[in-house]
Amino acid sequence: MSAQSYPGRRRTTWVIFIALCVFTFINLTPLIWAVLTSLKDPRDAFTIPPTIIFEPTLKYHIEVWTENDFVFYLMNSLIISAGTVFISVPAGSLAAYALSRIPRRSAGPILSALFTIRMFPHMLLAIPFFVMGTFLNMIDTYPLLILALVAINQPFTIWLMHGFFLEIPRDLDEAAAIDGCSNWQAFRIVILPLARPGMTVAALFSLLLSYNEFLFALILTGTDTKTLPVAIASFGGEDISSWSLSAAGAIGIMLPIVLVMLLLQRHLVRGLTAGAVKG
Amino acid sequence: MVRWQRGLWLFFLPSFGLLALVLLWPLSYAVYLSFFDYYLGSGERTFIGLGNYVDLLTEARLWNSMRTTIIIAFGSVAVEFLVGFALALALYRLHGSAKVFSVLLFLPHIVTPVVAALFLKWMLASNWGFVDATLLTFNIEPPDWLGDPVWAKVSVILADAWVFTPLVMMVLYAALQGLDTSLLEAAQIDGASSWNTLRHVIVPALIPAIIFVISIRLMDVFRFFDLIYVLTGGGPGTATETITIYTYQLGFRMLEVGKASALGVITLIVVAMLLLTINRGLNKAYRGGDR
Repeated sequence: MSAQSYPGRRRTTWVIFIALCVFTFINLTPLIWAVLTSLKDPRDAFTIPPTIIFEPTLKYHIEVWTENDFVFYLMNSLIISAGTVFISVPAGSLAAYALSRIPRRSAGPILSALFTIRMFPHMLLAIPFFVMGTFLNMIDTYPLLILALVAINQPFTIWLMHGFFLEIPRDLDEAAAIDGCSNWQAFRIVILPLARPGMTVAALFSLLLSYNEFLFALILTGTDTKTLPVAIASFGGEDISSWSLSAAGAIGIMLPIVLVMLLLQRHLVRGLTAGAVKG
Repeated sequence: MVRWQRGLWLFFLPSFGLLALVLLWPLSYAVYLSFFDYYLGSGERTFIGLGNYVDLLTEARLWNSMRTTIIIAFGSVAVEFLVGFALALALYRLHGSAKVFSVLLFLPHIVTPVVAALFLKWMLASNWGFVDATLLTFNIEPPDWLGDPVWAKVSVILADAWVFTPLVMMVLYAALQGLDTSLLEAAQIDGASSWNTLRHVIVPALIPAIIFVISIRLMDVFRFFDLIYVLTGGGPGTATETITIYTYQLGFRMLEVGKASALGVITLIVVAMLLLTINRGLNKAYRGGDR
């Protein structure tokens, strides 16, 4: 823009830049503090003023994964997340494809109904799941939690995939139909290869949702199926002498998500507003 | 072609079958349960019609939790919107370096909510938390961030803002990038001040995005659980007990599943009404203010 050349405008840009630097730094303090805590021995962790320079130790990062059950919780988290993705994404993609191809006046109401589901308080769903789970003796089993996560994930997956399918031109399936393909053939041979990147994005978001989920995991899991968030919440709670250890655990849980999110950067807004991470 | 399109309805079967099984059925069951006095511990169940609803609506604890929810919801959404919008404008202005900032500013949002809550707890913990330790260094006596009824609310609001401001920022930043730059240039040529450009050009153009982001944030505050559960557990006393936390206590601590279901239904109705009002209000304000 030509207006950029005014000296006054340049100066405001610098002011904004510096203000953003300061804000970003303050905003990240909790994260930095947690990383520092996880590298501290207790004698450095409990000081006034807070210690910034100290001899870092990886002891607690190693201890939390080797001497506690965190590997077991990680396995639980992975099994449950993978189960959710493998049910939710294929089913959701099929529905989303159909939704993107049927006439608008039929698709509209379905889409708004799906968006309304987003409004439901999760507690209202958690209660019947808990009661039914108790009856069926399914509390503390994988399938129950997976089904609950599919329930909160499905509307989101359909919503997200619908956007991706709209971007694939209709002419393609129309041509396939004229060539005599059935619906299924057109979908499998023509559309699916093109939709694969979108499905990967949807799968990664669903994975994150299930990995991060807390309420249902807290209620529906027990000693056999406890997931990482539930474990760290009960672990890092009250006892301050285990601060360094739980900080190490918390950082460990966070790292894979940061990596996945960096991969997903381009799709963040679309996914997150559809309710991806914090359902 | 029509027949071909009709065949598409079969594609809905797996998904809608799942939704019926894991969503509609449990939800209807919850509504059904809300008409029973049902203590899960003994398994005894008696039909009491609207009894649970009458009980809840005449109870001080429900109104207290409703008030707390509204304070926390509006407090945090206000902070998130103001800060998020300011950040979005700043990023928009910076072009080049905006990318690095947006990734760094986004970090708090992508952290697992429970983990984010723990991070904040270690900041706010009395004495050894970063905030207290820093204040004590300068001999300032810090308030009890999580133990004082008023400060606990403030802490919860700030915690929610820490996690969700990035989302608001990203949505508004994306909307800003879709803005027609010729409008901005026209305003500049006409000599409009930055404030006037913001008020009369940028904000009206962003209204759909603003309504959208405020609505989804308000819906989510009403069902958000992880942060408060880990940070204060609803305490001290019931100072930060939102409707969601109260429902949790009723259903999963006291095992009064009938009453808890009724509370869930009430929450749903409140959220639905709130969203309708807000959408209507914002729409009207926008059309009225623009003329």
